[in-house]
Amino acid sequence: MTQPLIQGIHRRTFLADMGMGFTGLALGAMLARDGVVRAGEVPEWRPPDGKPHFTPKAKSVIWLFMNGGVSHMESFDPKPELTKYAGKSIGETPYKDAQSPEKLKLARVTVVNDANGQQRKQLYPLQVGFRKYGKSGIELSDWLPHMGSCIDDIAVIRSMYTTDDNHGAQTQFHSGRHMLDGEYPTLGAWVDYGLGSLNDDLPQFLSIGNREYWNAKDGHYLGPAHDAIPIRVDPNNPLDFGKSQGDLTRDEQQMGFDLVGRLNRLKAIEYPDDPALNARIKAYELAFRMQKSIPDTLNLNSEPKATRDLYGLDDPATRDFGMQMLATRRFIERGVRFIQVQHGAGGAGAWDAHSSLKANHEGNFKAVDKPIAGLLKDLKQRGLLDSTIVLFASEFGRTPGSQGSDGRDHHIYGFSVWMAGGGIKGGIVHGATDEIGFHAVENRHYVTDIHATILKQLGLDSRKLEIPGRKRLDIDHGKPIDAILA
Amino acid sequence: MRPRFIAAALLMIAAVARGDDAVDYTRQIKPVLQARCYACHGVLKQKGGLRLDTAALAIRGGKGGAVVSPGDVEASAIIDRVTSEDESDRMPPEGEPLKLSEVAALRAWITQGAKAPSDERPERDPRDHWAFKAPVRPAVPTVANVKWVKNPIDAFIAAEYEKHRLTPQRPADKRVWLRRVSLDLIGLPPAREELDAFVADRSSEAYDRVVERLLDSPQYGERWGRHWMDIWRYSDWWGLGAEVRNSQKHIWHWRDWIVESLNADKGYDQMLREMLAADELYPNDLDRLRASGFLARQYFKFNRTSWLDETVEHTSKAMLGLTLNCAKCHDHKYDPITHVDYYRMRAVFEPYQVRTDAVPGETDSEKDGLPRAFDCNLDATTFLHIRGDDRNPDKSRPIEPGFPAFLTSLGTKVEAVPLPTEAHRPGLRAFVVEAHLKRAERRIVEARASLETAKGVTTKSVGPVASVAAVVVAEGAVRAAEAQLASIQARAAADRAPQEDQATRAAVHAERVASAAKAAEDASRANLDVLLSTPAKRAEVEKALEVAKAASEAARKVVDTPGGTYTPLAGSLKTLESNLETEESRRKPFPKTSTGRRSALARWITDPRNPLPARVAVNHLWSRHFGRALVPTVFDFGRKGTPPTHPELLDWLAVELVEHGWSMKHIHRLIVTSNTYRLASSSAGASKETIAADPENRFHWRANATRMESEVVRDSLRALAGEIDLTRGGPSIPINDTTSRRRSIYFVHSNIEHQKFLSMFDDASVLECYRRAESIVPQQALALENSPLATAMAETIARRIAAANPGASDRDFIRAAFLTVLAVEPTEAERVAVAEFLARLTEAAKGKGLPDPPARARVQVVHALLNHNDFVTVR
Repeated sequence: MTQPLIQGIHRRTFLADMGMGFTGLALGAMLARDGVVRAGEVPEWRPPDGKPHFTPKAKSVIWLFMNGGVSHMESFDPKPELTKYAGKSIGETPYKDAQSPEKLKLARVTVVNDANGQQRKQLYPLQVGFRKYGKSGIELSDWLPHMGSCIDDIAVIRSMYTTDDNHGAQTQFHSGRHMLDGEYPTLGAWVDYGLGSLNDDLPQFLSIGNREYWNAKDGHYLGPAHDAIPIRVDPNNPLDFGKSQGDLTRDEQQMGFDLVGRLNRLKAIEYPDDPALNARIKAYELAFRMQKSIPDTLNLNSEPKATRDLYGLDDPATRDFGMQMLATRRFIERGVRFIQVQHGAGGAGAWDAHSSLKANHEGNFKAVDKPIAGLLKDLKQRGLLDSTIVLFASEFGRTPGSQGSDGRDHHIYGFSVWMAGGGIKGGIVHGATDEIGFHAVENRHYVTDIHATILKQLGLDSRKLEIPGRKRLDIDHGKPIDAILA
Repeated sequence: MRPRFIAAALLMIAAVARGDDAVDYTRQIKPVLQARCYACHGVLKQKGGLRLDTAALAIRGGKGGAVVSPGDVEASAIIDRVTSEDESDRMPPEGEPLKLSEVAALRAWITQGAKAPSDERPERDPRDHWAFKAPVRPAVPTVANVKWVKNPIDAFIAAEYEKHRLTPQRPADKRVWLRRVSLDLIGLPPAREELDAFVADRSSEAYDRVVERLLDSPQYGERWGRHWMDIWRYSDWWGLGAEVRNSQKHIWHWRDWIVESLNADKGYDQMLREMLAADELYPNDLDRLRASGFLARQYFKFNRTSWLDETVEHTSKAMLGLTLNCAKCHDHKYDPITHVDYYRMRAVFEPYQVRTDAVPGETDSEKDGLPRAFDCNLDATTFLHIRGDDRNPDKSRPIEPGFPAFLTSLGTKVEAVPLPTEAHRPGLRAFVVEAHLKRAERRIVEARASLETAKGVTTKSVGPVASVAAVVVAEGAVRAAEAQLASIQARAAADRAPQEDQATRAAVHAERVASAAKAAEDASRANLDVLLSTPAKRAEVEKALEVAKAASEAARKVVDTPGGTYTPLAGSLKTLESNLETEESRRKPFPKTSTGRRSALARWITDPRNPLPARVAVNHLWSRHFGRALVPTVFDFGRKGTPPTHPELLDWLAVELVEHGWSMKHIHRLIVTSNTYRLASSSAGASKETIAADPENRFHWRANATRMESEVVRDSLRALAGEIDLTRGGPSIPINDTTSRRRSIYFVHSNIEHQKFLSMFDDASVLECYRRAESIVPQQALALENSPLATAMAETIARRIAAANPGASDRDFIRAAFLTVLAVEPTEAERVAVAEFLARLTEAAKGKGLPDPPARARVQVVHALLNHNDFVTVR
């Protein structure tokens, strides 16, 4: 039994040659751990062995993404100058330099002559008040009382920028590439590809919530085995094909799965050294367990009332997202590696406040503020926050100027995200935009710097994950934001 | 502080390197220079007159003098350049600086005297790259094991066995071969009767007969059509609501053309010509025009540069095996393709746009029509984008169309193609006129029927006034419909005789009469609305009546005004070039000539002297038959690609393809009738020497087991259940139609719509799919275990087996189930396993008091076999 299980390596060679995902070993990490040899044919290149490249500070990631674009000024980056100069065009203010064409070159237009994604010159006053939160005294908007109560665990990054002025920036935030460059693996896919599983009963990469605008794939050239598995927070119907159609009991179904396993093992006599056969046996075992483990994990009723209330399950305004956050914690607790949670359904995303910004953001923040804070507090009290990175982000911010009478347009030149847990410093602000929230001016970060920061905490070197034939650019790798690391 | 630290670190590393270890130039230095420097200082380019592809050349230096002085680091400029703190000065100019360890090794190597092997050769001229020279038919090798060789393919394969001391496996079991070749050629598993007949047929032609039957089957075109649809990026349209953003509505006509062309064994070269330039080569041949769906599919509403980038990239990758896209921003780093070459190729496509031609019987392009390419903007200029940035075109220099010159010196002359009248005025096509007339006649019939109905309405229901008014409306509708028919007749006549003033005048008049009749009908309808309206609505409808009356009056007045123009009958509608194009501009007349650029490209690509296309094509065929390509980098035959495992076999097949009229069926036949194709995929019993010499089966001493493509999984389920509808062609089936029995190729498949069951098994990415992925993930297990489809098919298959084997014992049933689902005899151990399962499950069902426990248990046996690894595996 010490004999390597693999002889036929043509698919893997194909990966090496093509730079496409060899996904015949989708359960690669599990197999690697079980002693299955994995080697590439390209000299000095090997697919990942599921182990970090250096000592990790964090084990798992919760990626909270607000679809549509959150106004940074009305959330994490207060700009009183907007109110002071409200109604004035930027050119009439001391900040007219913000619109110098040189500074606007960043934008790479996808939709020519689009009605949205335009410069909005007339400054629009802040739609909400601000106050200081926590010991750190960081200012956040009045719409965020609950996140505010966690601010001493949060590092706010106020100096993000991106280049796609339309919602393709959603894809860009996840993959690091502008939509016009094509489709590339998302960060979750890279993590899934690079690291082994923490649990044999659950997949390691899940996606919860709406992904309408951006392609529902993650793996791309890493292969579909690295796509997130979409989960619905509904124990009765949590995933596609997750439940038997017939009237079989679980015992009977188990007999069926056992038979499949037994027959497949018998086939190995006739076809020794068949890696696909081994992988399929593992896949069936995991599938059978998933049918139970996923609904079990989604059984939120098993949580005490105090915990459910912490996530706002007792309030219709916060219940939906609260359930997603509580489910997220339960998945993380059971060893899921990477969970993408998207908030905000609708064409371009619920946060896309081209008009009625105040009502839009007030409602959306109401829906997510308490559940997200609940998640942070719950992770912390369970000792999970130290090993779990939480990211809060959206594809871009919103314009300091007004669109129509009461909206803000897409804004790529400066916006905010925050990170917490997993070795990230709490109670700090990193980077800054100018006085009107237009340009990131201090410690500017492109979206892949977020990727690099997360990978570093997970102990992964993105350059070591590269695949022959799939050259990545420096900007794809990004640079870790060391200033926010504890 | 920092530079000093680096310098100190470098000295330390250098000291280490200088100490015990002599630097190995070949292992430590050359690969770094190759990866980072050769692109500009090698055979492709010699910037600053400098080449670094041999140590001697490096020492000789360039225009700026020596860059490597053996033994003297200080005098070696290369060190300064690669360590410069000034980014504008530092080499290499792109990417990260060299690693500290690399610089240290470089210094140590120079210190140690910059030694290199004396036989070091400079990079070869890229034009000597194997794939850039036309294939010449190699002699078929003579091998010792003559008996094993069935055809030349086997000889080439056996020659490698001899070279590498490999012993091929025994042939696969007859049933395994039949299942393999059936799934391979038509994408459907063999029926039980076919298995039995083949096993019973001991004649020497048994295998060949099967192959001929399968190649003649119309399902062959669907199976291999899907392969080529992967490569050619077939995608149904997507957009927002009715607005098309990518690909085109009715693009399925192109899919049907692919299937039909393959079934007819149209030459591969001819297929490429039609896809690239049917509109220039066969401007009035609607059947062939379907082929230009290849170009219509590339449509992307929002960004012309993305659209053309994808067109250039995938035409090159699919047809030439060249990564032309690598030259979008700068000269190609590996192949002799310049930055300008990229834009020359773009210029080939620059004038083209997409339109939808009417098809017989349909005038509404929303309902049906033929999406096709045509040269629309004959004067569109192409400019090179500096660093590939479309915001930064080099307007000083328009780029002319052209093709990478290094491949052949073939004539690439571009000559404008005059188009026959009906090609640029499709409204003249007889069937278009007929469709317009038919439609108008249908309306008259409908209007007359409505009139009869209106006359029959009793005055009781709506009151006498309104009932009379309703008849007036219906009469007006009849008049309008009749006038519309007259208008179409007159306009069709004028369209045919553009020089005749009288016909033109008649058309103008008839069209105006029709407009006036329609306006009068509308006014009478508005009048009826007033009569029927509630008091609350009264003011609104009265206002509408005033507007309608005014419009009617205006239309009536215009009828007899002199002059004017008429609307020619529409036979085609241009798809909006972008979100900026107006309705008016899309309706401009089409150009009377085409630039001829794409037919020049088609001629250049399909010229037998072009070294690439035939090789690329046979490599695609080979990889799909054998689960492994001869050139693994199937879209990159350039210098960065991987060389073929069997170069002579590849060339032999390429020449064979060309010399047999580019017949793909000829190549299929050669391949699947070879002994190589017959090998078992098991490595059981293989000698230690064979396994040790070629553990990865590069030299094909056994077959490769492959995973079925997603379409084959679903089609097999349905075929085994006898619930497959083999109707071919037609509009794509909505993805949520889960009851459709049609083959999977016919489901809508776009960037945003994938049929769910199919997407579990790695369906094609429409963006790029030169080979399918073969993932193994738990969701596939769930799909085969829990999907309504697999569940229902398990029941149906079990029922069919029961019907074919009435009164079968468990043992007989198990055998029948294995043969039906997996096409193999069960082993004794397998039989025991299944028998135990049957007993346990029957017992469990009895315990629950369910009806017919044994039959229920047998369904679960079939269900388990559908989940068997060897169901989704092609052995």
